Amino acid sequence: MKKKWKSLWKCRIGLFLSAALLIGSFSGCGGKDGSSASGSGGAGGDDKGQAMGRFLEEEVELPIALGNIYDMKRMGNGTIRVMCSNGDNGNKEVWDSKDGGKTWEKAYDLPAEIQDTDDGYVDYAKLSSDGQAVCGYNKIADGGITPILYLVDQTGSGKFLPFELPAYEGDTRNSSFDTEGAYDYNTMSTEGKSVNAGEDQSENPEEDQPEENPDKAQPEENPDEAQPEGEKEAKTGNLIVDLQFLGNDQVILQDMNSTIYQISTADGSVKQKYECSETTGGIRQVYVAGKNLVLISYTDIRVYDTETGEQKSTEETLQENVLDHENISAIDTLNEGESIYYLTRGGLYHYKFGGSIMEQMIDGGMNSLGAPAFYPMALAMIDEENLLVAANDANSDSPTGIVILKYTYSPDTPAKPDKEIKVYSLYNNRELGQSISRFQKEHTDIYVNYQVAISEENGLTVSDALKTLTTEIMAGKGPDLLLLDGMPVETYIEKGILKNLSSVIEKEDDYFGSILKAYQDKEGQLYAVPARFFIPMIHAKEAYYSQGEDFNTFTERKDVFVNMDPESVVEKFWYSCGAAWKKEDGTLDESKITEFLTRLKNAYGEYDNSKDQEEDGIYVASDIGGFDEIKRTSLDYGNFELAYGRLNTNIGLYGGMDYGMLKAVSEKLGDAVLDQMPGQAENVFVPAMIVGISSKSAQPEAAEELAKYLFSSEAQKVSQSGGFPVEKEAFRSVIDGHQYEGKESMRMVEIGGTSLEEPLSYDMVPTPEEEIQKLTDLAELLTTPALRDDVIKEAVIEQGEKVLKGEISPEEGTKALMQKVNIYLAE
Amino acid sequence: MRFNKKKKPGNHKINHGLVNNYRGFLWILPSLLGVLIFYLLPYGDVVRRSFLGAVDNQFTGIKNYQTIFENTAFLLAVKNTLRFTFFCIPVLILAALLCAVILYRSKFGGVIKSAFLMPMALPAVSVALMWRLLFHSQGVMNQWLSCLGIAGKDWMNTEHAFWILVVSYIWKNLGYDIVLWMAGLAGISENIYEAARVDGADERQCFFYITLPNLKPSLYTITVLSFLNSFKVFREAYLVAGDYPHESIYMMQHLFNNWFRSFSFDKMAAAAVIESIVLLGMILLLQKAWDSGDGY
Repeated sequence: MKKKWKSLWKCRIGLFLSAALLIGSFSGCGGKDGSSASGSGGAGGDDKGQAMGRFLEEEVELPIALGNIYDMKRMGNGTIRVMCSNGDNGNKEVWDSKDGGKTWEKAYDLPAEIQDTDDGYVDYAKLSSDGQAVCGYNKIADGGITPILYLVDQTGSGKFLPFELPAYEGDTRNSSFDTEGAYDYNTMSTEGKSVNAGEDQSENPEEDQPEENPDKAQPEENPDEAQPEGEKEAKTGNLIVDLQFLGNDQVILQDMNSTIYQISTADGSVKQKYECSETTGGIRQVYVAGKNLVLISYTDIRVYDTETGEQKSTEETLQENVLDHENISAIDTLNEGESIYYLTRGGLYHYKFGGSIMEQMIDGGMNSLGAPAFYPMALAMIDEENLLVAANDANSDSPTGIVILKYTYSPDTPAKPDKEIKVYSLYNNRELGQSISRFQKEHTDIYVNYQVAISEENGLTVSDALKTLTTEIMAGKGPDLLLLDGMPVETYIEKGILKNLSSVIEKEDDYFGSILKAYQDKEGQLYAVPARFFIPMIHAKEAYYSQGEDFNTFTERKDVFVNMDPESVVEKFWYSCGAAWKKEDGTLDESKITEFLTRLKNAYGEYDNSKDQEEDGIYVASDIGGFDEIKRTSLDYGNFELAYGRLNTNIGLYGGMDYGMLKAVSEKLGDAVLDQMPGQAENVFVPAMIVGISSKSAQPEAAEELAKYLFSSEAQKVSQSGGFPVEKEAFRSVIDGHQYEGKESMRMVEIGGTSLEEPLSYDMVPTPEEEIQKLTDLAELLTTPALRDDVIKEAVIEQGEKVLKGEISPEEGTKALMQKVNIYLAE
Repeated sequence: MRFNKKKKPGNHKINHGLVNNYRGFLWILPSLLGVLIFYLLPYGDVVRRSFLGAVDNQFTGIKNYQTIFENTAFLLAVKNTLRFTFFCIPVLILAALLCAVILYRSKFGGVIKSAFLMPMALPAVSVALMWRLLFHSQGVMNQWLSCLGIAGKDWMNTEHAFWILVVSYIWKNLGYDIVLWMAGLAGISENIYEAARVDGADERQCFFYITLPNLKPSLYTITVLSFLNSFKVFREAYLVAGDYPHESIYMMQHLFNNWFRSFSFDKMAAAAVIESIVLLGMILLLQKAWDSGDGY
């Protein structure tokens, strides 16, 4: 009997375990789906009811063109006060709005003694809630800069505060201060960045902010004697690197030693001092919220009580959110600092000190806040449902880029639009990001979810990214609109992955026809259309290249690739030669590849093995993570090296008219030639920002609408060094330098290359009509799309590098290359 | 009536058997469901897709099968996979048997056996990294050779890549096969050997007339497992040489991997069906050989 019971129990336990296993397996599958769905659901929406309420964005009409906004504050009486510089004359002014930004009236001009002159300039300025202003004025005297604090009362009368900064304790020569608004461009070596970041439209890193005071780069009296800013700082020692009002009677100031001073505005005495030099990388941002002082370093966020000077307990939630995600660009409070509202590229967030929840009030992806070229400068919370954001938006309609945007909560608008379009690209595309931001402003019913597959953080390979994309598309969860750069466009067209885009292009005559039709099929259908293009170009002294010279003649020269690394040479000439290799049957012409490698090797000469050991130098890194492969072959990278003789020729892809810079290089060289890069194919262009719509798109109409917008004149005029627009009017607008028209000529001094001693300076003037015409004619001539097949390209670069280094012969290189490519083509 | 009377006890007996069978079926039901959901149904879908277009799902008949047999990449991958399999598996099985017999008789067999298993514990990424260090054109192997005055080679971009893959596979799987062989050896009764020795059999005769025949059941398992493990060598090849390695190590998995990326589901499905038929055929052949061995 006992045995029977035992057996029965065994049986039951067995059945129970089997059932548990079975249920566990199914619930495991179900759970995965559930979490994914909730993840994509966003903003608390559910299947039955739609969450309502969203902040809507509108641009505030400004009475004058603003050159810069130093600060914007909601005063105690509700008035919005803005301290700015007049875009027309550079005058420093204070404006008030009593109706939340609808109308503005000037309160006063800053006193003449702190207006910008050759004797000094205002670097930082902040407002208090009772209408006072404090300015960090850099006085230029005795070949150096002396920072001074200047207090302006509510009526515009001012006085210097008796406060002196101690000497800078670090190495002034190599100092790199990185604060809310300042970035030391002198530390950048090879990219040739501008000193004047406010005007710089080249590829800023995501975190880069424009300089606090774009007016700083004033016209140089004698440009040839222009001194890099790093050198000026070296003579002065310490500088103010951030400034904030604390209440209405104290000021918070940060210096280059990472020391924070709490100063009384009554007598300039120091009430508290916060030493933060031990933090890794120093303090990068300083904010004040009520009586709290918030210091943000690269590793932590510290909150201090300004009354006692003591550090409060760590705000874990705030720290986690800010350090793991984005920089804070502006902060404000509505309740004496109990909680803060702050802006990042992700949007507007609300955080209550001591709390554990971070509330996202505005999703940056649905408006300008998340746009790549949008840099918030100040945030003024009018109330919980209305706020103003002052920002530098390089692609706004404002002539100076300075805008004020108003965000108003609309309870009747769905929290998230019903329609969602997924946009996918392998690499981050700044033009696309900017265009999406603008598109969303005009289409509040569509949410555009822009997904970038490869970033520096995730380290994904192209192959892995494409496999994931394949899975998503086939599972019906793929993107609606694809940016096909780096993808096998022709295979996608052949497999029917892409939808016909012919209806998106309304007036073909408005575009460069050959470029637009780069991927036209035999039936004349457009399944993939490049919105932009690059031109392979050469910039060289006449001794090394003659206008119109062909590939054979050019590669007979022996010293044209001096100081260039083999990989870079092969990669650049791949664009101008690869297009000539493809035969009608789809295979590659082996003899042409052998000729390509033989000629490049002939011109390259013997490879110096010692260069493999070099860490520094002018070699362009070819494995920069997260960057489109086109950008690393840009012509821009060689400007300084060519001008200062380290390169004999500068070859690369040309995708944004930097007339001033090219002219400066040509002037430095004396007898320079700028022409199409010689190659085995003629009139080659490189298609970029290739737009395609998935044939399995869940929102084909909305995707088509976005695609149409990307080819509109407005979107085409967005320029972030991602290639020339394919639309003719936008093409002219991007190259003509219209932003300099009717303005006093300014001299730009750029420091780049490998030495700070090698500036290039030029006048910021409109591009001469002759030059515009020349480039337009060249664009009209372009008929041959470069081969953009990553598998072939990788094989060519791998073998080409070995050939140029002398490890194998051109014939061996071709054989190895063909072996791999033939398998690929056979697949 | 007689018929019914006779049937009743009979029925009772049959029902009892059915209940027993039903109970047995219940025990295997979870596993069966898993196989059905995760293997059989997807396989059915693969068979269906092998007759359809890649993305549009239009019926194409046997076009996909015709396409793959005309596809030089497919033929190359098949050739390399078969070449690899037919070379590696006999070598591995024989080497493992030899080692197992020696170790089985050795005092330190247990310790050495564990050492042989170590490669299995190494992650594929580490193995791939070692390959790179060793066989890169500027790697350790070429440095050693240059010390001996021999010119180096870009090993992974020559025919040598195949032999590197073979050695790597054998090195990694030898320990596993040794363990399996040793398990087989442990199953042979010592009494048989003693009886044979009493009858005057020498070591060689014991091995060929006792050990080998008794290891036949193990051979089937070891062969099937080695065969299945041979497909895993793709990981190392992929990590070292990427999507397009030297043509001598371009395997079926490379092709499937690349076809998947380029949406060639039609060709993938057809090739998968062909491959599964070949695999099933080979396993059935092995099983048949094993069954006949049982009779023997």
